[in-house]
Amino acid sequence: MSAQKKRNFKIEAFKHRVEVDPKYAEKTWKILEHAIHEIYNHNASGLSFEELYRNAYNMVLHKYGEKLYSGLVTTMTWHLKEIAKSIEAAQGGLFLEELNRKWGDHNKALQMIRDILMYMDRTFVPSNRKTPVHELGLNLWRDNIIHSHKIQTRLLDTLLDLIHRERTGEVINRGLMRNITKMLMDLGSSVYQEDFERPFLEVSASFYSGESQQFIECCDCGDYLKKAERRLNEEMERVSHYLDAKSEAKITSVVEKEMIANHMQRLVHMENSGLVNMLVDDKYEDLSRMYNLFRRVPEGLSTIRDVMTSHLRETGKQLVSDPERLRDPVDFVQRLLDMKDKHDKIISIAFNNDKTFQNALNSSFEYFINLNNRSPEFISLYVDDKLRKGLKGVTEEDVEVVLDKVMMLFRYLQEKDVFEKYYKQHLAKRLLSGKTVSDDAERSMIVKLKTECGYQFTSKLEGMFTDMRTSQDTMQGFYASQYSETGDGPTLAVQVLTTGSWPTQPSAPCNLPAEILGVCEKFRAYYLGTHTGRRLTWQTNMGTADIKATFGKGQKHELNVSTYQMCVLMLFNSADRLSYKEIEQATEIPAADLKRCLQSLACVKGKNVLRKEPMSKDIAEDDAFYFNDKFTSKFIKVKIGTVVAQKESEPEKHETRQRVEEDRKPQIEAAIVRIMKSRRVLDHNSIVTEVTTQLQSRFLPNPVVIKKRIESLIEREFLERDKADRKLYRYLA
Amino acid sequence: MAKGSDRVRFIVGGKIFETTTTTLASAGRHSMLGALLDDSWNLRQPAAGVGVGGEYFIDRNPACFAVLLDLLRTGELHVPPKVPERLLYREALFYGLLDHVRAARWGPFDGNLLRPAASVAGRAPGDGTAIRAGPDGGCCVAHGSMVHVYDWMLEEHRPISLDYQQVNDVGYLDTQSIVVTARERLGKGDGGMGLFCSSTGELRHRFRVAHDNQVKSFTAGALSFSSSDHTIFSSCKGRCNEYGIGVWDQNTGQQVDFFYEPPGCLLGDADKLQWLDGSNCLMVATLFPRTDNCFIGLLDFREKSVVWSWSDAGITTSLDEKRVLHAIAMEDGRSICVVNQYEDLGFMDLRSNAGGVRWSSRSRLMNRKLPAEESCYPKLAAHGGQLFSSMNDSISVFCGPEWVLTSSLRRSYGGSICDFSIGGDRLFALHSDENVFDVWETPPSPIIY
Repeated sequence: MSAQKKRNFKIEAFKHRVEVDPKYAEKTWKILEHAIHEIYNHNASGLSFEELYRNAYNMVLHKYGEKLYSGLVTTMTWHLKEIAKSIEAAQGGLFLEELNRKWGDHNKALQMIRDILMYMDRTFVPSNRKTPVHELGLNLWRDNIIHSHKIQTRLLDTLLDLIHRERTGEVINRGLMRNITKMLMDLGSSVYQEDFERPFLEVSASFYSGESQQFIECCDCGDYLKKAERRLNEEMERVSHYLDAKSEAKITSVVEKEMIANHMQRLVHMENSGLVNMLVDDKYEDLSRMYNLFRRVPEGLSTIRDVMTSHLRETGKQLVSDPERLRDPVDFVQRLLDMKDKHDKIISIAFNNDKTFQNALNSSFEYFINLNNRSPEFISLYVDDKLRKGLKGVTEEDVEVVLDKVMMLFRYLQEKDVFEKYYKQHLAKRLLSGKTVSDDAERSMIVKLKTECGYQFTSKLEGMFTDMRTSQDTMQGFYASQYSETGDGPTLAVQVLTTGSWPTQPSAPCNLPAEILGVCEKFRAYYLGTHTGRRLTWQTNMGTADIKATFGKGQKHELNVSTYQMCVLMLFNSADRLSYKEIEQATEIPAADLKRCLQSLACVKGKNVLRKEPMSKDIAEDDAFYFNDKFTSKFIKVKIGTVVAQKESEPEKHETRQRVEEDRKPQIEAAIVRIMKSRRVLDHNSIVTEVTTQLQSRFLPNPVVIKKRIESLIEREFLERDKADRKLYRYLA
Repeated sequence: MAKGSDRVRFIVGGKIFETTTTTLASAGRHSMLGALLDDSWNLRQPAAGVGVGGEYFIDRNPACFAVLLDLLRTGELHVPPKVPERLLYREALFYGLLDHVRAARWGPFDGNLLRPAASVAGRAPGDGTAIRAGPDGGCCVAHGSMVHVYDWMLEEHRPISLDYQQVNDVGYLDTQSIVVTARERLGKGDGGMGLFCSSTGELRHRFRVAHDNQVKSFTAGALSFSSSDHTIFSSCKGRCNEYGIGVWDQNTGQQVDFFYEPPGCLLGDADKLQWLDGSNCLMVATLFPRTDNCFIGLLDFREKSVVWSWSDAGITTSLDEKRVLHAIAMEDGRSICVVNQYEDLGFMDLRSNAGGVRWSSRSRLMNRKLPAEESCYPKLAAHGGQLFSSMNDSISVFCGPEWVLTSSLRRSYGGSICDFSIGGDRLFALHSDENVFDVWETPPSPIIY
């Protein structure tokens, strides 16, 4: 056929030559075949590349490409079969070395053969869709050596045995291992995977399954994790030394599954060394190891997170419901802060600042802080304590830190409005008694609340500060105007408080001593003269006074007392003995306050400027009081505090709650109206959800209360029920 | 390496050449000269004999060896008049330097520097269907039921013969494979699409179309390839109104998708398909005179939707008016360029669905006449930021943001140009009358830059 085709091109010389030497192809091939033999026998130095190349070229040119190619396949196959025999004959440990050596030889020979047959590779191979010489050489090696019956299983067993020995601590020839695995990879990824990787992974799985079982029986959690981590690193190192990089993910996932995923629950809950113990004992290293290992397996982190959350909730619940702790609010809040700090530290050091863990921590705190409905009060008390005395001599940065921490707790509160109530009360007390340590700290706290909850939340608190400032100015103005008349009379300092901004309780004013009354009247006249249209009410229950007293032996003291106490003491200017009834009549101080005030004057050791008969801790209606002539003190100035429960008493608490509930009503109503105004028609459940989301930043409204408010709005004809569907509400403009 | 040992002496066909191993190294290890000098073949010579390096005998033509050695030294190809090109190519193939020769033969494509390099006479008179440039500088010409294949040396290979089925479109998948689409003949159940070997003309794969898991015969029209997705697109017409765009995988040859023609969109009869890499969309253009109304659309295969479309239905009223006769998507993927019978260029913005064709005011007055009866419809192509349009017997090159006419390519014989194609840094123009095609290439860059 080829001759016929040639005729078209009329190359006579070519045809002629074929006829002259019909054995031409056979002869040429013999030369090349001989060369291939010599190459395999390491005897190539006698060969001329140019001659061989020319011969191969001529064969292809003269259409003997097929003969050349098939001859190559036959010759190479024959050599490889010889090589296989010599490898099979290698004894024990020499087996791999022989294989490696022969592989090197074959590669070298293949390169030279490819050089000779380059022309065939370039022209004959692509147009006849044959396998290129190099690839052909690899395929033949694969089929005749690696897949030879005697070598295949022996090779695999040898490799797996070596790896096993390395795992048990022996030193093996890694270079040789690398060469052999490299050979498998060169033969194609499927050879590597099928003939080595898959069995390797299976053997590894059973090895680690056995080992992990053994470890878990005898190790505690920390040790186990250490061992697992070491094994994991070993396997990664092994991959980098002598396996395909793609195997890393596969082998690590085997180790992860066998050593971690299969034992996850048992590890976390391990007695005396599990996760909870690590958290309690701040074992950052172990925790960090656990995090890093568990992160590798599915569900790993969520397992840690769940256990941590339940542990937090458990301990937190214990903390907030422990009656012992409730006695000291400052300590209570301090403990919460410490707990938060502790776990923040764990998350940042051991858990990589994982957002999901932070969220779990936050939600746990939110959960248990709100379990105790006194938390808002306690947090406010904590701030009160810090701002009263706790922050003395502390730098501004530290103050900020403390306040920021408090704000963090504040964020967890659901009933932020309750906090606001208490905070207002405590702030008022601090301001009026002038006991606040640092004005800057106070303002900084207000700013924080403002950024957290908005302007509305703090407007009244800010109003209180304004009142304090204007009062100062007013007093200056007052004394400037009274300049001529100031004589021996008592000095008066008045704070004018705006109603509404301050948590004032309406109380009947007591009868002030005549000396004071005069100055008070002057001030009233001055104030109303400068500000028209205002009303002044004296809040005698909130004031303080400094009075000078002379005791027996001419001892003089300056007493710092409350207004009520001052009223009582002034009575003793004219009498030495007064009965409880007499005092009550003269001053008209409410009974509860009077009792407390007398208690602090007569029953506190070292401050007992009065003497009581009979001597007892409590004040009774028929007690009698004497001026205590024998009073002594190291100090010139004596501060007589009022015996006040720092915490609220039960009825007070009740009252505050009620006030809070009362305050919430208009807020809920406003929210409902806002929502209905924009939506016009809405069903009950949607209203409840929307109101809840709107008010969330301040408090968590009770659905029952919302329902009541809706009913009240219907009564007042803001809303109406839909005629057809009773569940729907309609806004009435 | 010592200075002296760098020298190599060749005796080629009786003539002595001396050169350095560095010069020969530029031939690469996978050439005959590279292998010749490789250490594994030079064990006999003790590391470079004193004075002279190796001495090699090669039984080849010395004149060609001189040319090729010069090519290795300078990277430039200069063929003396007495050396026939074919001889040089044969010798280059022997040394494994054919790719070097090709790279030096012509420069990187620039429409404004093109010069005619060759003109190849056709096998049959007239009516060529299409010409396509191959990735390595070869080309193929579809004509009737045959596709003639030329390599970059412009040597014709065994033609692809389709047994009297009309060829609709051809395209190079790579240097070795050509995809051919053919018309189905009534009652024969043939036609469709096949993959052929470019050097032997053998059929290697037939692409199938299945509707409802049933393999159906079809007529395949325009072709397009996506290099990013490794897919082949072709417009398909089935016997039972199965019109649409078929999609096949380049590696497996299996059908992977079929976009059925939605009402109002003409897909199965398309004249031109073009894959837009940037937006992952396929442009489909069905044009006059195949249909009375021109339709151009952009298909998104992931969402199976027509994301942009334009039609002149209801716009054109008479034959004299400007009519869209060919369309291509511009390389930036933002607009479509169209051309009318007066060789006016027009543009459509792909980012808005509303705008019509914005015709450029460039219209040349000399072309303001109805094209002669036998003339061909204009064609467009975009390459390397330049725009090409064929009209009658010349190709215009437009450049710059305003698409100014910068060059005109014209040969005097062969009649008007019915198709042209750019690829492998060459431009091929097929003339309708004689079926002759011209090869235009950019000359290598000047000696002094």
